[in-house]
This record gives sequence, structure tokens and C-alpha cells, in this order.
Amino acid sequence: MTAEVIALVWRKFICRACGLIYDEAKGDADSGLAAGTRFEDIPDDWACPLCGVTKADFEPHVDAPVARRAAGRPMATRPAAGRRRPGIVIVGAGRAGWQMAAALRAHDEAVPINVVTACNGDVYDKPLLSVAFAKRLAPGGIASERGSEVAARLGVRLMANTQAVRIDALASALRTTRGTLPYAHLVLAHGAAPREVGALPAALCWRINHLDAYRALRERLDAAGDAGAFVARHIVVAGAGLVGCELANDLALAGHEVTLLEAAERPLASLLDADASRALLDAWRALPIRFEGGVRIDGISREGALRLVHLSGGRTIAADHVVAATGLATPSRLAASAALAWDDGIAVDASTLHTSVPNIHALGDCISIGGRPQRYIEPIARQARRIAATIAGRVDPEPYDSARPPIRIKTTSHPFTIH
Amino acid sequence: MLAEVRGIADSTLADLADDIDRRGLYPKSVLLALGEAGAFGAHLGGASADYGAAIRAIAEVSRVCGATGFMMWCHDVCGVYMEQSGNPALLGAALEDHAAARTLGATGMSNPMKTFAGIEPMLLKARRDARGGYVVNGALPWVSNLGPHHYFGAVALVENGEPAASHHTQETPHEIMFMVRCDAAGVELRHCPSFSAMEGTNTWAVRLTDHRIGDADMIADPVRPFVGRIRAAFILLQCGMGLGVAQGAIDSIWAVERQLGHVNEFLDDRPDDLQAELDALSDRTLQLAQTPFGSEREFIIDVLDARAHASELALRAAQSALLHQGARGYLMSSEVQRRVRESHFVAIVTPALKHLRKEIARLSAPEIPS
Repeated sequence: MTAEVIALVWRKFICRACGLIYDEAKGDADSGLAAGTRFEDIPDDWACPLCGVTKADFEPHVDAPVARRAAGRPMATRPAAGRRRPGIVIVGAGRAGWQMAAALRAHDEAVPINVVTACNGDVYDKPLLSVAFAKRLAPGGIASERGSEVAARLGVRLMANTQAVRIDALASALRTTRGTLPYAHLVLAHGAAPREVGALPAALCWRINHLDAYRALRERLDAAGDAGAFVARHIVVAGAGLVGCELANDLALAGHEVTLLEAAERPLASLLDADASRALLDAWRALPIRFEGGVRIDGISREGALRLVHLSGGRTIAADHVVAATGLATPSRLAASAALAWDDGIAVDASTLHTSVPNIHALGDCISIGGRPQRYIEPIARQARRIAATIAGRVDPEPYDSARPPIRIKTTSHPFTIH
Repeated sequence: MLAEVRGIADSTLADLADDIDRRGLYPKSVLLALGEAGAFGAHLGGASADYGAAIRAIAEVSRVCGATGFMMWCHDVCGVYMEQSGNPALLGAALEDHAAARTLGATGMSNPMKTFAGIEPMLLKARRDARGGYVVNGALPWVSNLGPHHYFGAVALVENGEPAASHHTQETPHEIMFMVRCDAAGVELRHCPSFSAMEGTNTWAVRLTDHRIGDADMIADPVRPFVGRIRAAFILLQCGMGLGVAQGAIDSIWAVERQLGHVNEFLDDRPDDLQAELDALSDRTLQLAQTPFGSEREFIIDVLDARAHASELALRAAQSALLHQGARGYLMSSEVQRRVRESHFVAIVTPALKHLRKEIARLSAPEIPS
């Protein structure tokens, strides 16, 4: 009885080329298939009545309703900038992007603000990525607020998982992978990205500059062994600058075996004097960190699950993972498309933070002042306030103080502060 | 060459455009005249190749008739397949005839392009035959610019007799790219439904039944490196369609400016703004066309974005032209409403606007170790 009932259900099949649906209940009168013709009873030389592909190019189709917003329901957030009222577009939803949105909102609670970001916009402190083990943070606990929640709180439209592709400065519009946004003011807060190094291809090396990449690495490292046992991995960290040293320190504290490779003779060579570097190496004696200075990496290859790090001179180091920490570079795509003045970053004025185009602004890791990139946390909020004042048209806003803030090196077994 | 192309577009083609659109007239005489004028040879010929001129020729024609501009692209890109194949049977006299449009070619690459982008499964299947060639089966839904003696480039997935694995799970699928001659054995052209704005393009569904491919027909094996090499050229040539449709729309706006300017000034997208945007986009496209075989990631993103921008601008300009012309542009005989449909085609033909954006997103995403 049950079998008969099931047999009576008419099925549907969809053409994978054009989307035409063959419904067994209706058949296809035009090609001589009576209503009720089972799909398996259709001759093999039958063709899709719409596009002509063969029966083999059909697959079973199940009608599944798609959740859609009912007409007439108010949007959860304020209307976004449209063609009629271009508002402010912010590229980037890291600390700089969100600080900028908050500072703009403090001046004007009605102006439409769009935040365009390649990620999901979740809020987190990037410095935590190199001390999360030491602070015993689960990767899921690093983000403090979801991007969608901040957007609702600030009344801005968040365009998550969206690439900003090009600035059309002539038309004052930002081209993105989800459409083109006209703007009255554009704020670039897209930060910097790991510098591309030919010998350290992205397909074989982790580059921990974003929560998403960190989560992916943690997932691999936390994958437990038999009976849930911790498995210590051998990790090569390439580059012993600030981030490389912090990551090496943190991974070693977690119990992994770390080889830290550096072109200079000592760690943090560009930031610290020789005595301080030595003090750090002394502090690391208690940890499974092996430092090798004066080393050049020629390339990386894959061998099974292992990575082979090829050093100049012919030596090879096998590791479970390689983390590249060889510095940052500001992506130039957007700045170049608007012909913004460029000096190892988007060049901005030291006291006004103006870029070379009046209605395009920039802050955070992507800017440079006097040819020096400004990759510090503390000034970001001040930069955001200064730019918000400019956009709001305040007369004589307080000048920005571009003095470099102290740098904290969070090598937790022996931290430093550089003034 | 461009002056001659413009002359053909503004005279013969302008007279036929309505018949091409509404009566499905295939403008073979126009294509042959364009061939004689050298419109299909500019981008061929190695060191002397001029992709910018080829794009401008397509734009000149698309300004008057988008359907004919599209067929120029079909024929042009087929020439790219032949030239880049390195196959002696597709070079020499064959390529010379093609470049002069003494023979006509086309492209059936929509499905494989979507397959490579992870959007569709491959529709054509090939297997080795005893004579060292391949036998191909399957059907392509819509291939344009076809005719009894025409030919087009296509791709098939090679099935090697192993248990059929879906293309998603096969790690390195083996594909071949080849030329299909419409009059060869096992090739059947079938009618397909009416297409908005494209009735005159001789578009057919093509069914291949045990169709044999020999060495003389081979374009590429393996296919993916070949397609990677010609990808920018393929997309850049298409930009000519969008640029031309947008220019035609702007021309239609100016045509009524004297009589209707006093009301049209209240519309969005006025012609001088559109023209400024179009001029900047044309310059950018021609700049990119100086290195048509570039493959560096940022360059490809720029090429994809130029093509997307051309689609968006054509849509906006055509829509704006209709609003500017009002009722007279709404007549079925008016080029203005035809151009609205042509602009829709520019935005949906592979790679469609949404595919371009998806591909830009894919190329922009940071790579993470596997």
C-alpha cells in the first residue's frame, strides 16, 4: 500500500542548461509525451523543448521554497545610500572602518553610510591573533561583536563578503562585486595585506593577518590526535619581526615546536638593540623555540602532508606548517584607480589627513605619512574623529598629531615597549 | 579600416537593423563586407595584432546593431582560437580565409566557461576512438552565428571508460577543445526558441551524435591552460559590444535634445555624464587591450571589471535613452527600445555580469593553504 502511494507521486526534473522543468504530471505534449509520462519512460533521444539538450542533462528537481522578505515590511536598518542621495562609503570593517562609521554617526545621525568589506565584518582586536594561546582564548571567542550587530547598532548598511574593485573618481562611485555605490565621501580603511614573497607562496604558507586565516590555522592545530590527545606540531615561522616573534612565542606556549627563521642575525633586529634581542632569546630558552638568524629561504615545497622549507646553501627543514610573517604592504588597487598620491601607502597630510583627492579619505594601516606607513592601533580613533570633522564641514578642526605611539611587543615570555 | 567599418554600419547595416531584429534576417552580406574591410583581421597576425582596433570595430557596429556586433565577437574570438591553437590545419590559408570572413566561425564556449567557473557541468562528452581521435556526444543549447558551412570552437570532457565520476570530484578532468564544422557527420542544428534582440544571429541548438574529431580539428589539449591564456582576449573583445551599445544610446539621447531638452533635463544619467563615463571606460579598455594575453591576477581583475562596467553602462545608457525619447523611442520600430533589449543581452551573455563579479570575488579572496 505504502509503495503504491509513493509510486503515485509525480516527480519533476530540471534541465541543467536552461532551467526548464519537466513535470511528470504534465508531460510534454509538444514532443508527444502524454501527461503522466514517467521520466524513465521518456526516449533517450528526447530533447529539452526549450534549449535542445538531451535527457541525460536533466536532474531531479524538488521545489523548495526560498525565504524572502515580504513586500511592505520595513527594512531592519536605515535605507542605504542610493542614486538619489549619495552618502558615505567606507571600505573595510576592521578597527579603522568601524571607528570611522562610529565617528561619522556621532556627527550626523541621518547620513547614509555603507560599509563595504571583503570579510563578514565581525569586530575583533587584531593584536589578539598573536597572543590568543597565551591568553587562553578559543578561536570562537576572539570576535567581540558580529558585523551585522554593529551595523544595526550604528544604523549603517554592511555589505559583507564584498570586494571593492575600483574607484571611479570621475563619477564619485565605488565599483564592488555587489554593485556600484555612488558616494559623496569615500573613506578607505582597507588596511594592509601580507607582502607577497615569491619564495613563500600563499598556497603553502599561512599568513596570519586576519581572523579568518587565524581560525583556519587553529582548526588545523587543534585537530586532536587519538583519544583527543594534543598533538605537538613542528611549525616554521618565517620572519622574526614583531608579528613573527609574537606568533612564535604564542605557538611555543601552546606546546608546538617552533623554528623561527630570520634573514637578520637576531630577532626584532629592526626594532631592538642587540642586548634586548639577546634577552628575548634567553627568555625563550624555556620554550620549544629554535631561532636561526642569517637564513635565506629559497622556496617551499609540499611532500605529502609536510612542507619542506628549502634554505639557500641547500639545507631543508621539514615542518607540519609554515607561517610567513615577512611584513605588510598596502594593496594599491583602489588608490591607483583613483590616482591617489602614493608613498608606500596612501599618502595623507600629517595634520589634516587629506589624501590628494578632496572627497576621498583614508585612515588606519593603509595610509602613510612622509613615506612611513602608519600601522598603529592607538591613533585610529583620533584619525577617524579628524576625518569625520572634515566630512562634517567643521571649520578649523583640531589638527591630527602624527607622532608615533609607543609600540608594545607582546612576546609574552619577555615583552617590550618601544617609545 | 575603422572609417570603412563606420561607413558600413551607418549605411547598409542601419537599413537592415530592424529586419535583423524583428524578422530574424541574418546579415551575411554585412559580415562579408566587414570582412573585406579588414574588421576581423585586426587582432590577428602576431606582433602586428591590434586588439584595440578590433574592439573599436565591434563598438562601431554595435552602436548601430547589437546583434551584428555580437556576431562580430563570435567570429573574432573564433579567430583567436585558431591562431592560438598552433594547429597547422587551423592556421595558414584557413586563418587567412577566416580573417577576411571568406569563411565564418563562431564559439560554443559558454558552457565550458561556466563549467570552469563552477557554475555548470560540462555538456559535451568525448571518448577516444580506435583511430586516435575522439568521438563526441551531447548537446549545446545556444550557439550563435551558425550556418551550413560555418564552424565553431567547443570543449568536451573526456571520459576514459572508468566509472563515471562527476566533474566536481575528478581532480584533474581531461578536456579537449576542438572545432565543430556544422556540415560534418553527426552534427545537427536544431531550432531553439526566439531570443530577445538576437533573432537575426542564426542561433541554434547543436546536437552532436558520435561526432568524430580528428587532428585537423583540435584546438587545445589540455584546455584549461589554453583558456587561461586567451581569457583576457576573449573578454576584452566582448567589451566592444557594451561600449557600442552605450554609444548608440547616448547618440539617441542627443538626437532629441533640441526638441525635448527642456523636459529631459529632469532625468538622471544625462548624455554628457554618460559620455564622460563611456570615454573613460573606452580609454581604460583600450589600455588593457595593449596586452591581450596578460594573465597576472590584478590584470585579469581589471579586464573582468572593464567588461562588467561596459555591461552596467550599456544598461544605464539604454534605459536612459528610452526615458529621454519617450513614446517615439517606445515604438517597436525604434532603435531605442531595441537597444534596451541589446543592453540586456550584453549583461547576460557569458560571462554575465553576475559571473564577472563572482570571478572577481574568487580571484580577490586570499589564498589559504589546503
